[in-house]
Amino acid sequence: MTETQELEQLVKREYKYGFTTDIEQEIIPPGLDEDVVRMISAKKKEPEFMLEWRLSAFRHWQTMTEPEWAHVHYPRIDYQALSYYAAPKSQEELDAEAPESLDDVDPKLLETYEKLGIPLHERAALAGVKGANVAVDAVFDSVSVTTTFKEKLAEAGVIFCSFSEAVENHPELVKKYLGTVVPQGDNFFAALNSAVFSDGSFVYVPKGVKCPMELSTYFRINAKNTGQFERTLIIAEEGASVSYLEGCTAPQRDENQLHAAVVELVALDDAEIKYSTVQNWYPGDEEGKGGIYNFVTKRGECRGDRSKITWTQVEAGSAITWKYPSCVLKGDDSVGEFYSVAVGNNYQQIDSGTKMIHLGKRTRSTIVSKGISAGHAENAYRGLVHIGKTATDARNFTQCDSLLIGDRCGAHTFPYIEAKNASAQVEHEATTSKVSDDQMFYLRSRGLSEEDAMNMVVSGFCKDVFNELPMEFAVEAQALLAVSLEGSVG
Amino acid sequence: MNRTGLPDWLSDALPERAAAPTEIAEAARHQVETIGLPGLRDEEWRWTNLRAIQRGRFHAPSGVGADVEPSTRLPLDNPLRLRFVDGAFQGVPDDLPEGVAITALADADEATRAAAFSPKPAPSVENPNDALVTLNTAMAREGVVVDVAANAIVERPIVIEWLDGATESTMSHPRVLIRLGESASATLIEHVETVGEKPAWRNSVIVSSIAANAALTHIALGLDGESRLSTTRTFAALERDARYHSHNVQLGGRMIRREYDVHVGGTGAHTDLIGLMMPHGKQLLDTHTRITHAAADTTSNEHYRTIADDAGRGVFKGRILIEQDAQRIEAYQSSNNLILSDDAEIDAKPELEIYADDVSCSHGATIGRLDQEALFYLRTRGIALDEARGLLIAGFAQEVIDELPIPALRDWLTTRVEQRLNDRSLPVDSDA
Repeated sequence: MTETQELEQLVKREYKYGFTTDIEQEIIPPGLDEDVVRMISAKKKEPEFMLEWRLSAFRHWQTMTEPEWAHVHYPRIDYQALSYYAAPKSQEELDAEAPESLDDVDPKLLETYEKLGIPLHERAALAGVKGANVAVDAVFDSVSVTTTFKEKLAEAGVIFCSFSEAVENHPELVKKYLGTVVPQGDNFFAALNSAVFSDGSFVYVPKGVKCPMELSTYFRINAKNTGQFERTLIIAEEGASVSYLEGCTAPQRDENQLHAAVVELVALDDAEIKYSTVQNWYPGDEEGKGGIYNFVTKRGECRGDRSKITWTQVEAGSAITWKYPSCVLKGDDSVGEFYSVAVGNNYQQIDSGTKMIHLGKRTRSTIVSKGISAGHAENAYRGLVHIGKTATDARNFTQCDSLLIGDRCGAHTFPYIEAKNASAQVEHEATTSKVSDDQMFYLRSRGLSEEDAMNMVVSGFCKDVFNELPMEFAVEAQALLAVSLEGSVG
Repeated sequence: MNRTGLPDWLSDALPERAAAPTEIAEAARHQVETIGLPGLRDEEWRWTNLRAIQRGRFHAPSGVGADVEPSTRLPLDNPLRLRFVDGAFQGVPDDLPEGVAITALADADEATRAAAFSPKPAPSVENPNDALVTLNTAMAREGVVVDVAANAIVERPIVIEWLDGATESTMSHPRVLIRLGESASATLIEHVETVGEKPAWRNSVIVSSIAANAALTHIALGLDGESRLSTTRTFAALERDARYHSHNVQLGGRMIRREYDVHVGGTGAHTDLIGLMMPHGKQLLDTHTRITHAAADTTSNEHYRTIADDAGRGVFKGRILIEQDAQRIEAYQSSNNLILSDDAEIDAKPELEIYADDVSCSHGATIGRLDQEALFYLRTRGIALDEARGLLIAGFAQEVIDELPIPALRDWLTTRVEQRLNDRSLPVDSDA
C-alpha cells in the first residue's frame, strides 16, 4: 500500500467524528428557510442591515437553480438536509475528541507532516491535539507571536480580523464593500453563502500602507471552525498593498462535505493584492467515496487605476473543485494575474480556471494554468477572457497546459475568448501531453527512481506557478504535489 | 429550465409526412415541440441569437422559381450541378460520371433514408443544443443522396447550389447524404447564394460517410446575400485511413451558422478543417466544429481565421475530443482573428477534451490588430498606410485561401476577397 493511500485511510478514519449527526444544543436543525437565516443572524448578534442583506440573498437563492454546466458529476445535494449553523465547540468538547498529545496521533499522519515539511509547532495544531495552542505557546510562544503580529498590524493601521468582528467593529466598511464584487445573486452557491455564511476573514489596508507582513489564516486564532460557508473580504485602499495566504498543505480534517465560500477583493488606485491559496481538503478515498465539495466564488475588482490583483492557487484536495478566481479590470492600466496548479488523482474532479474581464484602458492580464491528472481524475480548465468595448489597448496572455499520468484520467480545456475592441490583443495557448518517455528515460539513466523522476518532471512543469508563491508556500507546495501523486506511477 | 417550445408558425408547419422513416420522424417531431429552438442559455448557442429566426414567420416555398440561376459562376471544370431552389431539389442531372449514383431523397428506399437520418456521431434528440438537427429530421422532405462506388475517382466536382430566397420569406430543411465506397474519392462544393431580396432561412443537414481509404473534399462557399439566414450541420464519419478535408469560406449572409461534427473512427484516418470568415456590416458568421478521435493513430488539423469589420461578429468554437484508449493522437488547432473596427466582435472557444494519455494536442487562439511592426516596415518602404493595411489583411486571409485544393478556385477567391477589402473605407489608425 502506498503512503498516499494510507494517508487517505487515516484521514477518512478521522471522519467518524464528522458526518454523524450528534444532536448538540448549538446546532440549528437541518433545513433552510427564512427563520434559519434570521436565527443565524441573531446568534451572531448582527446589525439590522446584515439581516436584511442575508434575507434578500436567501430570497434570490430560492429562485435559482443549481448550475449544471461544469464538467463534474455528483449526486444531487439536498439543501434541506444540511445544517446551516453550528456554534464553535467549547474547549471541553474539543478536548474530549482530541488526542492527548502528539504521541497519540497516528505515526503515519505525522510522517506525512514530516514529508510536507510542516513546522513542528504547527503539527500539533493540525492534528487537533488537546490544548495544542497552550502547548505551542509553551514551546514557541505562539500566542505572544500572534500578539506581536497584532500590534504591528495595528501600528500600520491594518485591520485583520474575523468577519464577525468586522461586522461588530467596522460596520461602515462592511456595509460599503460587502457584496460589491460578488453580488448576492451572482450565482447559486454565492447566493447560498450570502444567506447563511458563518464567518471568515476581513482585511482592510488603509491608504498608502504596505502591509508589514504576509497575512495568513494560520495566525488568526479564530480560524478554526469557521465552517462551511466562509466569507472573506479584503480591501486595499489607494496605494496600499497586501499579500494574503489561505489554507495550508497539510491534509485538513473537516466535518462538512459542502463548502461554498465567497472571497471578495477590492483594489483602489495603485493598490496591490496578492492572494495565494493552497487547498488540500479531504479528496475522498481511492474509490472516490466521500470527500469535500469545494464550490467557491472568488473575485477581485481592480477598481482603481494602476491597481493589481494576483491570484495564485495550488489545488490538490477536495473530491470536487469548482472555482474560478477572477479579476474585473475596471481601472485604467490595471493588471490581473492568475497562476494555478491543479492536481487530481484517484476520482477527483476539478473544474477550475479564471475570468479576466477587461473594461479599463490598457488593462493587462496573464493566465498560467497547469493541470495534472492521474488515476481516474477529471481535470478541466475553464476560463474567460473578455475584452470590453471600452478596453482600448487591452492585452491578455493565456497559457494552459495539461499533463496526463495514466490512461484512465481526463484533461480538458474550455477557454472562452470574447473581444469587442479593435485594439485588443489576446493570445491563448494550450497543450496536452503525457510525461514523455524520453524525459523519463533520461532521468532514470541518471539513477533516479521512477517516482523521483516523475516528481522532477512534474515540478518542472509547475515551476512557472510555484515561482509566484511566497517562498515557504512554494517549498511546501512542491512536497504536496509529490504526496498527492504518490502511487500514480509504476 | 423553462423552455418556450417552438414558435407557433413553425409548429404549424410541421408536416404530416417527412422523408425520415416514420419512427425517427415521430420522435423528432415530438422532441422539437417540447424543446423548441436553442436559446442563449444553451451552451452551444451562447454567442448566437436565433431571434431573427424565432420572429421570422417563414413558410414553406410554394414551389416556383425553377428557372433561377446563380449570379456567380465558379471557375470549375465541367461540374456536376445539383440545384436546390428554396430548398427544393431541381432534379438529377443526366450526364452522371461513372461510379456516381444520385437519387432524390424522396425517391430513395427506406434503408437509404434511414442512413440519411442516422448520422455518426449521433446528435441527441433530447439535447436542446441539437434542436436544429432534430427540427430538420422532423421537417425534411427534400434532399439528395449521392453514392460514390468503391474505387471510383470522381474528377468532376459535385456542386450543390443552394439558391435561397428566390420567392418570398421562405424556409427549407433539406437533407443531403453522401457516401463514399472504399478507396473512392470525390469533391463536394456547396455554392450558397441568396437570389432574392426577401429573407430566407435554410436549415440543412449534410450526412457523409467515408469508407476505408476513401477521401472526401468538402468546400463550402457562402457568397452573396445580405438577407440570408442559414443553419447548417455537417456530419462526417471516417473509417480506416479515410480522409475528410473541409474548407469553409463565409463571406455573405446575415446570420450564418455552420457546424461540423467529424467522427475520426478508423485507425490512420485524418481530417483537415480549414476556414475563413469575413463578417462585415451587421453580419454574424459562426462556425462550430467538433472532432472526435475515436480510434488510435488518427490525426487532425484545424485552422480557422476570422476578419471582423464594421459591426460584424465572428464566432468560432472548435472542440477536439479524444476518447479513452484512442492513443497516439496528434491534433492541432489554431484560431486567428483580426478585428478591424471597434464595433466588431470576435468570440472564440477552442476546446480540448481528452481521455487518453499518449496524445499530443495543442491549440492556439489569437485575437489582435494588425502587426504594428509589419505596418511600420511597409510604411518605411514608402507604402501608404491604407495600402499597407490592405496588404496585411489580404495576406492574413491568403494563408487560408492557399489551402484550397483547387487552383482555379483559389485564384478566383483571392480576387473576390481583395475586392471585398478594397470596397471597405479604411479608417486611419491614429497610433500607426
